[in-house]
Amino acid sequence: MLLPTATYRAGAFVAAARRLGVSLTVASEQPSTFQEAAPERLLTLDFSDPERAAAQARAFAARVPVHGVVGVDDDTAAVAAAIAAALGLRGNPPAAAAAARDKYAQRTRLAAAGVPVPRFTRHRVDEDPALLAGRVPYPCVLKPLRLAASRGVIRADTAAAFVAAFERLRRILAAPDVAACGEPARYVLVEEFIPGDEHALEGLLAGGRLHVLALFDKPDPLDGPYFEETIYLTPSRLPDAAQRAIAACVERAAAALGLVEGPVHAEVRRNPSGLWVIEVAARPIGGRCSRVLRFVRRDPGAEAGDLLSLEEAIVRHALGEALPPLEREPAAAGVMMIPVPRAGVLREVRGVDAARAVPLVEAVEITAHPGQPLVPWPEGSRYPGFIFARGDRADAVDAALRAAHRRLEFVVDAD
Amino acid sequence: MNPADIRITAEPVDVGRCKFVVSEPLYEAGVRRFTSAADAAGSALAEAIFAIPGAEVAEVIVAGHAVTVVKRSPAPWQAVGKAVGQAIRAAFASGRPLVAPKPAAAQAPAAVDDDVLYERVADLFERQVNPMVARHGGRVELIDVQDAVVLLRLAGGCQGCGMADVTLRQGIEAMLHEHVPEVQGVVDVTDHAAGTNPYFSAAKK
Repeated sequence: MLLPTATYRAGAFVAAARRLGVSLTVASEQPSTFQEAAPERLLTLDFSDPERAAAQARAFAARVPVHGVVGVDDDTAAVAAAIAAALGLRGNPPAAAAAARDKYAQRTRLAAAGVPVPRFTRHRVDEDPALLAGRVPYPCVLKPLRLAASRGVIRADTAAAFVAAFERLRRILAAPDVAACGEPARYVLVEEFIPGDEHALEGLLAGGRLHVLALFDKPDPLDGPYFEETIYLTPSRLPDAAQRAIAACVERAAAALGLVEGPVHAEVRRNPSGLWVIEVAARPIGGRCSRVLRFVRRDPGAEAGDLLSLEEAIVRHALGEALPPLEREPAAAGVMMIPVPRAGVLREVRGVDAARAVPLVEAVEITAHPGQPLVPWPEGSRYPGFIFARGDRADAVDAALRAAHRRLEFVVDAD
Repeated sequence: MNPADIRITAEPVDVGRCKFVVSEPLYEAGVRRFTSAADAAGSALAEAIFAIPGAEVAEVIVAGHAVTVVKRSPAPWQAVGKAVGQAIRAAFASGRPLVAPKPAAAQAPAAVDDDVLYERVADLFERQVNPMVARHGGRVELIDVQDAVVLLRLAGGCQGCGMADVTLRQGIEAMLHEHVPEVQGVVDVTDHAAGTNPYFSAAKK
């Protein structure tokens, strides 16, 4: 299990391995303090270099049998692919995972395969934005090639806004943690802005076939200028035909990238002109959002009421098991990624108990800690927390999430 | 010693359980668990705590410099804690043994086993686990052992750390299985949201 030290998902995946009774080795890019005491259960790998990580994993596997590998984010998905190839495990071809990780490479492959994507161009960060501003379509969106969670993604409607956005993204790309990724941090992707509703598809690829696990609606318009996520709701309220069209489009996109195994999280825009693939990621849904997904087990031996988490399904698939029939539970479910209220240092979050008391609200998880700087988008990428709700209807779940959010008060000191 | 000089720090675990760390040693011969006022007879500290009016004390666990109080009353620890502090100081002032030695007669098997496990787990945490987590500014506190299940709390850099579950399951639990195999489970009672300096913070999507 490849778990970066900055991941939100350690708890969910560790819990999944426990429930499945899997002997787990956790690999991170920094050593655990227990690594010497538990060398079979804890490992350090170079996540910045998939090939080197694969060599390290091969050395580990020479003494500890490894039967599966899972990456949990964009970077570790590429590492997992390299390890899978090195050890003969189920996984994506490394080139496919690498293409999925880089927005320009992804756009190029999808466009070549005829998958509908926004028009796009790539530019070096040292180009003159004033000159570029006269050559790009408006409205447009500027993006880094590699960052996640819409960090650095900025919409520009005019030439002046483009120049300002370019300069701002250039500063983000110069930040030490971003610049460390090397060459990709020296480019900016510019693409046309696609209006319309956005939906997220969560799936699992098995032998190239896409199993749709959930389709989310995003009820709040994501029109920019920044693209911090808000609410995901499932089941989607789109007509069945529209849902099937999205699934088919995502499956085409995954095939165009060469992805064949493992989790897929795709963002798609829909408008009167059709469908547009915004992103296909070879990883599961981000943050703590997977908590909203529970699947009814229908495989032999399952007891009535047995529910499977997304992480359990991913781990079982990685270990070479045939996918059991996976049907999302009947309830509507939703998650709110709590927006950053304002820049500053978080002192306290009040009203959490009141938020939890809202009917249908299942949990409120505050992941920001007291003393933590809150950084709004586009420079930021950390949500202060997550709200989860479940109920009979998606609109009631939506209302519950917003009601819970209104009860929260973030006490933030100015920087 | 002037009881007024005794420093007591309350560390609530949840609404029913609070650990009080005292600047003076309370019981250094392992762990004593008292489950009733009758059980506490002869131990000035436990007697005084069970006698706190309105607290509905259900259990008192004493080990080293710490006494953990389990109550049934819904009264907040801000109120009950003061009474516990007064009870601790009164016990010191009484001049009587704070904690009587364990009786020779066997207690109920489960209680004896839990106390023995408590000592072994506490020793493992002190000698091996805490020196390791201290490298990341962390600390693991043993809260209790109940029916062979270890209740612990993570503090310092471990509290709110994005890798806390890895530390817990791949590190601490693994060491418990190796060194104290009688332990049946590990429960983390940490309030991770209150962590102010986690060693690793979740950031990427």
